[in-house]
Amino acid sequence: MKFLRYIVLCLILLIMIFPLLWMFRVSFLPSNSGLSLINLFSMTWTLNTYLDILTAGNMVRYFLNSMLVGVIVTAGNILFCFMAGYAFARYQFIGKNFWFYSVVFVLMIPAHIIIIPLYLLIFKLGMYDSYWALILPFLVNPIGIFLIRQYINTLPASMEEAARIDGAGEFKIVFKIVMPLCKPALAVLAIQVFLTNWNAFLLPFILTSSESVRTLPVGLALYQGHQAIDWPHLMAGSALAVVPVLAAFLFFQRHIVSGITSGAVKQ
Amino acid sequence: MIKRRFSGYLFASPWIITFGIFWVYPLFYSLYLAFTDYRLMHHTYKWVGFQNFERLLSDQSFLISLKNTFIFVFGTIPATTIIALILALLIEKNFKGRAIFRSGYFIPSITSMVVIALIFTNLYSRGGYLYLLSEMIGFSTPANGFLLSNKTALFSVMAMDVWMSVGYYMLLFLAGLKSIPKELYEAAEVAGAGFFRKLFSITLPLLKPVALYIIVINTIKSFQVFVEIFVMTKGKYGSSTAVYYIYETGLSRFEFGYASAAAYLLFIIIATFSILQFRLFRRKTT
Amino acid sequence: MKKLKSVLGLFIISLCGIFVLSCGGGSNQVTLQWWHFWTDPVIKPVIDKMITDYETANPGIKIEQTGLTWANGHEKIVIAFSSGTAPDIVELGSDWVAEFSYSDNLTSMTEAVVKDTSQFLGWTPGIYNDSIYAFPWILGTRVLFLNRDLLNQAKFDEKFVPYNWSDFKQACFGVNNLSDDIFGFGSNAAEKHRLYKKVLPFFWALDGRIISENGKYAVFSSDKAYKALEYYKSLHDSCSLVDTQRRLEDAFLDGKIGAIISGDWLLKRIKNENRDINFFTTLIPGPEYPGKSFVGGEYLAVGKTSQHKDEAIKFIKYITNTENQLTFCKANYTANPSSREATEDQFFKDDPNLNVFLRQLELSRMTTPTPKWVYIEDIIETSIEEILFNEAPIAETIYEANAKIQELIKPQ
Repeated sequence: MKFLRYIVLCLILLIMIFPLLWMFRVSFLPSNSGLSLINLFSMTWTLNTYLDILTAGNMVRYFLNSMLVGVIVTAGNILFCFMAGYAFARYQFIGKNFWFYSVVFVLMIPAHIIIIPLYLLIFKLGMYDSYWALILPFLVNPIGIFLIRQYINTLPASMEEAARIDGAGEFKIVFKIVMPLCKPALAVLAIQVFLTNWNAFLLPFILTSSESVRTLPVGLALYQGHQAIDWPHLMAGSALAVVPVLAAFLFFQRHIVSGITSGAVKQ
Repeated sequence: MIKRRFSGYLFASPWIITFGIFWVYPLFYSLYLAFTDYRLMHHTYKWVGFQNFERLLSDQSFLISLKNTFIFVFGTIPATTIIALILALLIEKNFKGRAIFRSGYFIPSITSMVVIALIFTNLYSRGGYLYLLSEMIGFSTPANGFLLSNKTALFSVMAMDVWMSVGYYMLLFLAGLKSIPKELYEAAEVAGAGFFRKLFSITLPLLKPVALYIIVINTIKSFQVFVEIFVMTKGKYGSSTAVYYIYETGLSRFEFGYASAAAYLLFIIIATFSILQFRLFRRKTT
Repeated sequence: MKKLKSVLGLFIISLCGIFVLSCGGGSNQVTLQWWHFWTDPVIKPVIDKMITDYETANPGIKIEQTGLTWANGHEKIVIAFSSGTAPDIVELGSDWVAEFSYSDNLTSMTEAVVKDTSQFLGWTPGIYNDSIYAFPWILGTRVLFLNRDLLNQAKFDEKFVPYNWSDFKQACFGVNNLSDDIFGFGSNAAEKHRLYKKVLPFFWALDGRIISENGKYAVFSSDKAYKALEYYKSLHDSCSLVDTQRRLEDAFLDGKIGAIISGDWLLKRIKNENRDINFFTTLIPGPEYPGKSFVGGEYLAVGKTSQHKDEAIKFIKYITNTENQLTFCKANYTANPSSREATEDQFFKDDPNLNVFLRQLELSRMTTPTPKWVYIEDIIETSIEEILFNEAPIAETIYEANAKIQELIKPQ
């Protein structure tokens, strides 16, 4: 029985990871090789595809663009989601409920509704096809605010009160005392924002057009449209997009999982 | 709770500004556009009332893409939910190597959709591994690969989508399972309940809130399916979906007014479904 | 008061500084922005070299290139024109010129180039309302590629060349019957911007038209369209491998397909990859004698908002001159010059395949120039897809397509 269970589990595991294994295998094939079964299991392994995409073409540029945008957006989210989350958890201000409902509201709204006006807006602001278009609209997100607010609500307010009595300024209290306490939640937030941003396609695709600001997923999707689509090269580029995700998963698995599940269990 | 109006607004301001500029304004602006004939390269545009909506309801391409969206939603969600639940039950208990299985099942769902779609484009094509596999099983494969056939293109994309997202929802189910008090099972065992008895009278009823959450977020997500279609079929072979149609009319042919109307129509449909789902589940759980 | 004066003085000095700096930096320097589609790693250095030569010969002029892709180039150009960020010089597909000249985004270059018209081919798409808006650069046509070995196996003699539809059909069926995984013809799957280019030649061979000469009426629905589609569909249904263009080419090179329609890039690929394949090229067959092919031109135009129109036109003339076109064709191993003088070159005569391309070029049609082409293309492509892949009845489908096209082009 136990043995049978393992067989079933392994079979499922194979189904789940085979496509990624296939991707890595193909990326080490010489370019223009046919993708028949024989080739895939042949002993031919080459690093040429990787050397090609690292030295010529734009894949490296796309990769760096994705990194740059990802890091800035993540940093922005850590700061701004924390600030807003703190405000909603601890301060009392006029219209607070309204603004908090706005967070929940955006959480429930399908994003497709704003792609056209957002595109036109980015245009009017003169940000079309620039890094700004990839960064500014994404600097703070409702899920992040929600997450941080929930977390701060679980913290005792006694330390802040003590500091206030000592005459510490608001900024000092918030950033020097509360923020370090929120590290676990901020880590969850950071990794989640980075991954979402790293894999994002639709908005980066419609808000930019030139290669100089193109992100990796967009570059990969458009590479496919070329006359000369070469699978080993395309898969090597795809590996560039997958490896950071796998690395992040290895190191921050706990954070990723708790970020995903925090929404569900609270229900 | 302290009253600090200034600090409150100061700290919430990044959100308030983002919300205003990138959500409220676009929402109203696209509502306005939906009633105009605005398109690029035409220098003037005017209010046309409900014309765009009338045109949509008689536009075959839109109706087909809407139909496909419904097929997508109602086809993938039950499959995804059930498979995710089964996976969660399979690896719920602690055993050797559990972490490996959990991670392995989960990995596809954090991989870039573009990459996954590219890989499956090849696997589904004639001579691709999935194609060969289905031939081996004796499945009647379309002559030109799964993505180049009206019969299979949409379903192939759906199958990939289920494969990709089950791991994600499995994690949510696992979290839900963990929150069920062990005492309940112990009490049931004392009463002599078997596996299925426990499953149907304890596990499933208590998983309802998680299931509701899963179905609601998956509905919103699935109604907006786009990337897979863009990469794999470009909406050909009867696989166009509503958001793909909005993209084509709005951002490839630049008919902003018409596309905004389509976007609002879809929005109304999604909103209706989400509300219905909440109502339905609320009644059942109480 | 004293303070105010010194602030004012500082302000004036800095203004002067900015003025001097901007003069010094840009003295007589003209920078031309050029958007084009040749990012191909083989061709890019060739174009770079042409530009360096030009910049050396014309000090004071700098050319800045931006690469576009066919996947989203049209969208990018539309956006650039409507937001006023268009470049000085832009490469356009032949079927887009009318769209942009109609929307008043291009500079008329009639006076500057009228003398050249006799020396270049393919002007039609560049002309709108009797003015020339775009200069023909590259004229890529498509011909028939056939696998000689497969034809021999199917008992066609060594000299066999299909000239007409019935020959061709026989050849395709003959090859198709060889074995289960050998196909007669490579038929395109539903790929945007590709499929209709393969079907229209059969329509044109019958002298069919989509829009009447005066541009007022849709005349797509006709017995010519019916016959062309019926013929194409019979190939598609009975003896074809259906796949994307790239995979059809792969299969052809692997010796799996008897005949495909393709462009000169396939010649280049066969050469670059040293493919061992016994193939030949020939004109696309017509109903009785060789018919028409589809030619897609690449044109150079000057944006209306350009500050340096004269310099831009001068550069266009340079890049399209005979010498540069020959350099380009030789580097690319293609036969697609727009310069008449270039077509006379020995390079094309020496190579039988390139020669076929040049002969086909004379027997080629472009799509009718109309500002609504992108929409018409969509309608035609959809109707072809419906007929080929969805078993829609031919006559009704082309009738409906015709009605939709008429709706589009009716005067507003």
